[in-house]
Amino acid sequence: MLFEPFTDVYPSFWGWLNQGPLTLTLFLHTVIVLPMFWLYFKEKKRLEQEK
Amino acid sequence: MAKSHSVWTSIRFWRQSAAWVTGFAVVLLILLTFDTMRQIKMGGKRVPSPSVINNHIDYKYSKKRGHEVPVIGDKEPFFGKQWSDEEAAALLHKGKLTSQAKNCMNCHTLLGNGAYYAPDLTKAWLDPKWKQMMPMVGAKTKEEAIAKFLQHPEMYPTHERRMPNLKITPDEAKALVAFLKHMSAIDTNGFPRGFSKGVKEFEAGGTYAH
Repeated sequence: MLFEPFTDVYPSFWGWLNQGPLTLTLFLHTVIVLPMFWLYFKEKKRLEQEK
Repeated sequence: MAKSHSVWTSIRFWRQSAAWVTGFAVVLLILLTFDTMRQIKMGGKRVPSPSVINNHIDYKYSKKRGHEVPVIGDKEPFFGKQWSDEEAAALLHKGKLTSQAKNCMNCHTLLGNGAYYAPDLTKAWLDPKWKQMMPMVGAKTKEEAIAKFLQHPEMYPTHERRMPNLKITPDEAKALVAFLKHMSAIDTNGFPRGFSKGVKEFEAGGTYAH
């Protein structure tokens, strides 16, 4: 299951995130890779403008 | 000409990406450090206060959480008395220092740290074997039995791998037992899994630490 009720003694966002490898992978890819798309297109635009 | 405008060969892009990934990882690790500090604080929900050595500690399977969780029970004398908060804290501190001085981790594992040569000590206090040890060492209580064993482990071989005599004094042994008892009350999210648990108890899904 991707999402399961959080049962740890401390209700923690990080604990919920780390309940399984998939949730952690999805989170890290979302926050790390998505901004890189933005960086990519920003850089592409800049290079085209330079041209 | 198109090649010279490829983003993949742009140093700026890689530099910005590296800065973002590194910066994000730094922030994440700092936040996780604070989260950990909050969770491992003594007296919290996970790590009980030192005076927990005055209570009976049990271990019960939690269906909701899918593993065994410590259950802090009624008051019970520890070495024949109730310990005040200050006394218990001092005793635990001495126990911790002794465990470091005698290098328990060289063979044992404590809370996931250490070696796997000798039994895991994280929940050693709850091991039903101490009950069998009591008549062997001539002790009336579990804590006395553990203390006696720790002072003369070579006299009571329980395993092929024998624990050497580490010249632990009676006071140090007492402190070590307190250290072990407190450690067994820490909610470790079910670690170590089903330690010294018999099949019967496992099937019953109940406690086995009485």
